[in-house]
Order: sequence, then C-alpha cells, then structure tokens
Amino acid sequence: MDVLLLFTMVVTLLLIGVPIAVSLGLSSTLFLLIYSDSSLASVAGTLLEAFVGHYTLLAIPFFILASSFMTTGGVAQRIIRFSIACVGHLPGGLAIAGVFACMLFAALSGSSPATVVAIGSIVIAGMRQVGYTREFAAGVICNAGTLGILIPPSIVMVVYAASVDVSVGRMFLAGVIPGIMAGSMLMITIYAIAKIKGLPQGEWKGWGEVWVSGREAGWGLFLIVIILGGIYGGIFTPTEAAAVAAVYSFFIACFVYKDMGPLSASDGTSISLMRRPHALLTAFVHPDTKKTLLDAGKLTVTLLFVIANALILKHVLTDEQIPQSIANAMLGAGFGPVMFLVMVNVILLIGGQFMEPSGLLVIVAPLVFPIAMELGIDPIHLGIIMVVNMEIGMITPPVGLNLFVTSGVAGMPMMAVVRAALPFLAVLFVFLIIVTYVPWISTVLPNTFMGPEIITN
Amino acid sequence: MTHKTGLIDHIEESVIAALLGLMTVVTFANVVARYVFNTNILWALELTVFMFGWLVLLGASYAVKKHSHLGVDAVLNMTSPPMRRVLALISVGACLLFSLLLLKGAYDYWAVFADLPPTSGRWFPTGFDASARSQSFYEVQDVPMLGVFRFLENMINYGDSYEKLPKAVPYVVLPISAFLLVLRFSQVAVQIWKGEVDRLVASHEVEDELDEIRASHDNDGQEGTR
Repeated sequence: MDVLLLFTMVVTLLLIGVPIAVSLGLSSTLFLLIYSDSSLASVAGTLLEAFVGHYTLLAIPFFILASSFMTTGGVAQRIIRFSIACVGHLPGGLAIAGVFACMLFAALSGSSPATVVAIGSIVIAGMRQVGYTREFAAGVICNAGTLGILIPPSIVMVVYAASVDVSVGRMFLAGVIPGIMAGSMLMITIYAIAKIKGLPQGEWKGWGEVWVSGREAGWGLFLIVIILGGIYGGIFTPTEAAAVAAVYSFFIACFVYKDMGPLSASDGTSISLMRRPHALLTAFVHPDTKKTLLDAGKLTVTLLFVIANALILKHVLTDEQIPQSIANAMLGAGFGPVMFLVMVNVILLIGGQFMEPSGLLVIVAPLVFPIAMELGIDPIHLGIIMVVNMEIGMITPPVGLNLFVTSGVAGMPMMAVVRAALPFLAVLFVFLIIVTYVPWISTVLPNTFMGPEIITN
Repeated sequence: MTHKTGLIDHIEESVIAALLGLMTVVTFANVVARYVFNTNILWALELTVFMFGWLVLLGASYAVKKHSHLGVDAVLNMTSPPMRRVLALISVGACLLFSLLLLKGAYDYWAVFADLPPTSGRWFPTGFDASARSQSFYEVQDVPMLGVFRFLENMINYGDSYEKLPKAVPYVVLPISAFLLVLRFSQVAVQIWKGEVDRLVASHEVEDELDEIRASHDNDGQEGTR
C-alpha cells in the first residue's frame, strides 16, 4: 500500500509539471525518511554514487558529445544526398530515401527527436518541392525518426544497460536486426503506396554519384564502425569507444567537413589547413567547439540528473523487495510471460507519450526487470521490447513526443501530423508484435558474436 | 545587473564545457597510453568519474536557471493560465523542499570527510552532532595528492600527510551544488510568482532547435502552430 502511495506521488508530481528528476528524488526521499532508517546523508550519497559507482553511465556524455559534433551543420545533408543517390530513383524515391537517411543518421545519433529535427527539416521541404503532400512527408519522417533510439549507438540502450546491469555491447548488437527490419518495413510500405498512388520518383544519377556522395558521407558513417568494431573487436570498453568516437567526430567536423571551427568560413566555404596550420591548436578553444561542448553538456546534465535520482527510487524498490512481491502475485494469479509482456507494452505505450524515453526507462526498468527474470524472459530481449515500445509511444496519439516535434519541424498542426502518421504507425505496431513474440530477432546477433548469455541476477 | 548575470552565465557555461572536454580528453589519452605507450594512466578513470559527478551536479542548477530540466508538460498545456500558475507554484515548492532536504543530506555526507560536525535531526537540522566520528583520513583510491591541497593536512587531518587526494576535496561538490539548487529554485519561484515564466520543465531535448525552426517558419509567412 505504501508503495502504491509512492508511485501515486511520483506520477502526480510529474503531471503537475515538477521536473522528472525532482519527482523521483523527492518521492523516494520522503518514502525513505518515513518508512526506513535511511538518513538524508545516505540519499545524498546515492546521488554521488550514481557517478562514482556506475562506469557504464560514463558512456552517455561521450555518445552525446560525439553525436553533437556529428550533427552540427552538414552531416545530415551529406547523408541525405547519399540516400537519394542510392534509392531516390525508386517509386516514392525521396520518401524511401528519407527513411534510409533516418536509419543512417540514427547510427550517428542516439536520440529520436534529434533525428526528426536533423533529417526532417531538410527532407520534408524537399519532398514538398517534388510534389509530395506535406502530410505524407511528415508521416514518413515522424515514424522513421523513431529509429534513432533503436539503431545503435543508442542512449536509451546505455541507460537500460546501466540500470539493470546488462552489457552495453550486447544491447547495441541486439538493436541491429530490429533496426534494419523496422526501416525495411517502412520502406516497403512506402514502395507499395507509391506503386498504387503513382508517387513521384527521381532519376538514377549513376554509380558515380553513389560513390562520390558515399565517400563524403563515409567520413561520418565510419563513426559507427569505430564504436561497434571497437567494442566487439575487444579494443575498447563501450565507454572508451564513446570517448574515441567523440574525439574522432571532433576532428572530422573541424578538419574534414570543416562545418565548424577555425577552418569554416562564414559564407559556407572552407579554408585549407595549409593556409591556417595554427588551426590544429585553435580548434580546441574555438567558440564553435565550446558551444558544442556546452550543448552536449546541458543534455548530459538533464538526462543524468534524472538517472541519478531514479537510482534513489531503485534503492527503495530493492530495499522493499517490491518487484519480487509483484512477480509472486502475478505468478500466483496465473499470469504468464505473454500476459506480462502485454502489460509492459501497455505501460510503456502510455508512458512513452508523455515522457522522454530515457526518463521513462529508468522508472520502469528496475520495476519490471526482476519480474521478467522470474518469468524467464531474456534480459536483452526485454531491453529491445522496451526500446521498441517507447519508439511507438513517441508516435502514438494524442500526445506522442515525436508527433509534437514533427509538427514543429513541418509547421503543421498536431492533429494533422497524427492523421499523417497513422498508416505507418500501423506498420510499426506489426513490427512491435513480431519483436515481442520472436525473441530470436533480438538475441541471435549478441549470442552469435558474444557467446550465450550468463544471467547473474 | 544584466551584465552580472551575463558573467555568471559565462562562468557556468565555461565550467560545463571544460569539464566535458577534459573528461573526453583524459579518457581518450588513457586509450592512447594503453595502445601506443603500452602503459595505463592509473588515475584516469577515477578522475573522469569525479569530473562526471561535478559536471552533472553543478550543471543541475544551471539547468534549473535555463528551465531545461526534463518533465511532462502535456497537462500544463491543457490548463488555463491561472491554473497553470498555481500548479507551477506547487511544483516549485516541491523542488524547493527537495533541494533543502538534499542540502542537509549533502552537508552531513560531506562534513564527516572534512572533519566538520554533521547536523543532527532526521528531517531538519536541529543542531550539530559533535559526537560523530571524523573520517577526514579517508582518501580516494587512485588520484594522487596535489600540492595545492597540502594545507588541508594541518587543517582537517591533524598534521598527518595524505598520499592520495582526501575524499573531502572531490565530494565538496555535493553541498555546493545542493546550495546552488536551493538558490536557483528560489529564483525560479520568484519568476513564477511574478508571472515571468509559467513552468520549470522542458518536455524534450530539442526545444531550442524547434524554436529556431518555428521562428524561420514564421519568417517565411507560414502559419505557426504552437
């Protein structure tokens, strides 16, 4: 009963507009002060322990920084050019290229709204110019943008891995097949619609364009090779891979793409390093560099402050053995894994509409993870289910986050975006059902490359 | 007055950028050390996690000031402005309560490492607990003692020398940032009371970018949608 009170308090505070971090922290602190012997000093200690004791979380700021360097300026444009060169000549080509670009961009960035902003602000306008309706364009990008959290590297996956102690490497690998599958399903749907409705198609510009644009985009896309190759090749820990990726993207942004830093000129052209060799040093203290560091730092602060406070809640849940008692009650009532997964689906679909996915995950994961373990569900599979659920929550009417962001990017009312997104939402729903009930899709890659999993909890 | 806020913004922003930059450089340097020089920077990881903690805890108060803490605004958007103001005042009250509790907890946690008496009382400080055992001899695991902190040996460690950095140094961030949180939440409370802002949360991380795009839409003469 006390626990019900705790969760009611968290949700009430959230809904009236208290920051997620404070809702979690305050409710848990009050609970601990009233029902346990823990002191305020130990609560403060838990906050500090979040950073000093969780090396996995350390990967998050570096991933954020890497994608901040990669997403300033022209990387989105280069990826879109490459995507159009590859698939633009198909029926519905620009729409398919938009999905493809979102998939590639997702491999650089770990966030869905960021993907919608970066790709959507260019592609939606482009699609309208060649004769697509604004609704169709917005619907496509709104859905494809959700791939940002499913295709590795994904910040949400790092958060999941850290909060339930599974391997980040496994989670990343597990996201590869589902990510490609979801993208392909969307592209096939668009292809079918295009065939029926006769949507515009671009012209094939030849392999030369594929090669040239691919080489341009390749500098950025090599980032994913560093991260996945580095982790699975045993060269880096995930945290180190993220830090190396951040340094790599800094150099690419400053010295190869020259979108920022001392070699970028204000009129969009760039300056040769030969003419300004001191740029090698000044790049580190250039205002552009500082701005990117600050943006990434701000995002790190807001995400991690939520996570640190969620650890206080996790502390409460563990102390009170709450997940175990719920699991026993469920098993006693004859609920099996299938029923449990349906419940998880529903909770996350509802929650995902209101909340930023990492914030939702740190609240839900510590609660459902022990239950899932009791029921014999694979922890990696559970992680992928949760990520896909939150993806869909972001585009489920009435208030999904991606719907909101797309309405801003496309400059159209929220309800119009909701209608536009519905057909593709149906596709992703089918995808969710497949992913939920076919664990093989998520677990085959990690089990093949990293050996069968040892569950220690 | 505006000039002064500008300066403090500048300092906070520089600290955030510098901490994140240094964390990245130290971690990267450790990888280079391992593969190129076949050695390990022993204190790299510990130093990085301390900077990580400093970044988030100090940054939390900056995020309060910039109203960028993540939250849920779906309900707020549906309510009328007077109702929204009431909810915002309740919210900021909850935040102030949390930051005050945290300030007491943070001071108590840190005080024992700094040879200071923690406060007594469970909810509110009722005085100082002189009987608490000082733990000022506690050191961190890897980061070596720095010369600039030698004065601490006489001040809090009864003249005994430190080999590694005493815990009191990195942990001091807890009471400092809890104090800053109290300060920033109080300032936001005043802003809400005066009606200058109507909420303390942002619902997602790309709000700034979206505002820019909306502004450009409006310039193009298209309809705004907010």
